[in-house]
Amino acid sequence: MELPLTQLKEGESGIIISISTPRRHGYGRHGHTWGFQRRLEDMGVTPGTKVTVVKSAPFHGPIELQVRGSRLAIGRGMAERILVRVER
Amino acid sequence: MTKKRIVIALAGNSNVGKSVIFNHLTGMHQHIGNWPGKTVERAEGTLHFKGYTVDIVDLPGIYSLSTFSIEELITREYIAIENPDLVINVVDASVLERNLYFTLQLVELETPMIVALNQMDMAKRKGVKIDYKKLEKILGVSVIPTVAPSQVGIYDLLQESIHVIEKGDAVPSKISYGEEVEEKIQELTELLGRLHLPYPARWVAIKVLEGDEQLEERIRQIDPKILSTARKLAEEIESIHGHLCSTVITSERYEAAGRIAREVQQIVQPVNPPFRERLHALTTNKILGYPIMAAVILSIFFGIFSFGDYTSGLIGDFLYSFEPIFLNIFGTGIAGDLIWGGAVEGLIAGITIALPYLLPFYLMLYFLEDSGYLSRIAFLMDNLMHKIGLHGKAFIPMMLGFGCNVPACLGCRIMETERERLLAIFVVTLVPCAATTVIILGLVGAFVGVEWALLLYVIDLVVIFVLGKVAFKALPGEPTGLIMEIHDYRVPHVETVVKQTWFRLWEFVKMAFPLIIAGSFVIKLADILGLLEPIADFLSPITVVWLGLPAITGITLIFGVLRKELTLIMLATLLGTANFAEVPGFGPVQMIVFTLVAMLYIPCVATIGALVKELGWKKAWLITAFEITFAIVVGGIAYRVLLLAGI
Repeated sequence: MELPLTQLKEGESGIIISISTPRRHGYGRHGHTWGFQRRLEDMGVTPGTKVTVVKSAPFHGPIELQVRGSRLAIGRGMAERILVRVER
Repeated sequence: MTKKRIVIALAGNSNVGKSVIFNHLTGMHQHIGNWPGKTVERAEGTLHFKGYTVDIVDLPGIYSLSTFSIEELITREYIAIENPDLVINVVDASVLERNLYFTLQLVELETPMIVALNQMDMAKRKGVKIDYKKLEKILGVSVIPTVAPSQVGIYDLLQESIHVIEKGDAVPSKISYGEEVEEKIQELTELLGRLHLPYPARWVAIKVLEGDEQLEERIRQIDPKILSTARKLAEEIESIHGHLCSTVITSERYEAAGRIAREVQQIVQPVNPPFRERLHALTTNKILGYPIMAAVILSIFFGIFSFGDYTSGLIGDFLYSFEPIFLNIFGTGIAGDLIWGGAVEGLIAGITIALPYLLPFYLMLYFLEDSGYLSRIAFLMDNLMHKIGLHGKAFIPMMLGFGCNVPACLGCRIMETERERLLAIFVVTLVPCAATTVIILGLVGAFVGVEWALLLYVIDLVVIFVLGKVAFKALPGEPTGLIMEIHDYRVPHVETVVKQTWFRLWEFVKMAFPLIIAGSFVIKLADILGLLEPIADFLSPITVVWLGLPAITGITLIFGVLRKELTLIMLATLLGTANFAEVPGFGPVQMIVFTLVAMLYIPCVATIGALVKELGWKKAWLITAFEITFAIVVGGIAYRVLLLAGI
């Protein structure tokens, strides 16, 4: 099943399929969104990687992830754009 | 013996203990400035070792060598162009894979380097065992295990650095990527090799495939044909993998990092019961996290204010005891008046703020930061900060702003993009600082009522919320989100915390003191020349007609530019009484309007200095002018509303 990361329950894991950007600027031309996809990838959130949702902050706050042995906090807006495959 | 000079740079992710190593290496021989033309801190230090004079440069903590942030650009330009003799890559052994991702980028840059495998103790606690000899073999450079806080391995690190510089064999092995990607990289490397760029051709090839705008621009100026070839190659990669080429390369690099990590590390049973994990879970708990945070912040503020209040009085009394001696020397004429009342009182004011309040403030801040609690606060506050277009990290400078806006402005550097920095700084200048609190409590709280003082705080928060939202909408650029590593809790390294406090305090003194002293001098001069009354008259259409205040407040509001609490002190001086309740024409309405205006009207002169430093003259004046206008408009409206309400 393919879901945005925000739909995962705490403790659930999935494999990252893709990070969608609201606007594609074409190759080599990028605005901030592109920059943030880049940033996520630099932090290890790349397609094919296993992520575990550790905690979801209340009131639609950020999500705590376990990825590549490190712990990341990602704002909900960004997390919604991360599509993952889960076994349910 | 002739002394040879060598340069060693420290590079690595954030929170890997880089600054602790830097402090051990350089002791007090360090200098903190800015990178030329940038608001990014540059820490440098010198040491002498085996006949060498070694300059150590502490590069900013980053995760990648792309162009996402100014820090990343600075780091790669520094390494590639200024060619330090050696880069010490500080790696967190407990998060090896993610750290090696950065190491591999240094490898791509063909930097002479060695690796400091730091936080070995934390890795051990997590049950991670690392075969560093094997890592050495794979990377082709020396790897020294270190535990920075207890100085383990620091000497070896230095010795090995000198050793490899002398031998000149610190260039790492090449790390190959997947076949299809590797092919394209090599094809492009050959083409780029002829251009004689100041960077290694293979690195440029990889970066151009990743779509690096800065390097593309450089190549476009020399040979635009290569770019179209690069684009074609990148599109081929994209069609094979179905992802952006930059994504493919990042994945490949992470795969390589993961492969190396798995090869050299062995996961065994964690040593200690996971106390730190439980502390993490508790402090980010959905329910308990917030009251814990509130308790921590409030007790820190309470501690700092009671300590500051007491010590500030003590230091003030002590310094003022020199007044008679001073006036004996310079006389009570204009000269004495000008020097004491202008310059020296400005200096005293600076000292009685900086030492008693800022010193403990910085100490606590760096203590919390080093322990890892600040990132938990950012996590908890992210959602709230999003309401004003910022994210969780901005809560930290905002919190600082309640103490003093100056360090808060400087603290906005933790925001990654220029847009976020501008937004955060703007919001921070609206936060009521300690001096503003003095006015709110000392005037409205004491003479009108505590509920009105609280109301003013609420109004300020509403103003922050609304203006933040407006600025967020008005500024171009995409909204950004929180992407932050939460490192494990650790015991803060006291020496590093103390040193950071010291250098930050010194930075404040250098920036704010001249402004406060010069400002005091100018206003005193205006006073002696009898210019204050005419200025008050000149301002009376605003103060008297629009705001409904006594004309005299015009003068005090000018004094408030120096330091906000001077508005209140000067008011008492000029009125000849501190019991404001008995002053005719200065009732509750006037007190509330006066405080409201003082609260909002201008960041003080030191804050303006910080604004100029961080944003440049233009934006600094824009923010200042806006806030003055805004305060006057709001004050006038409040005056009329209060009159209508019949208070």
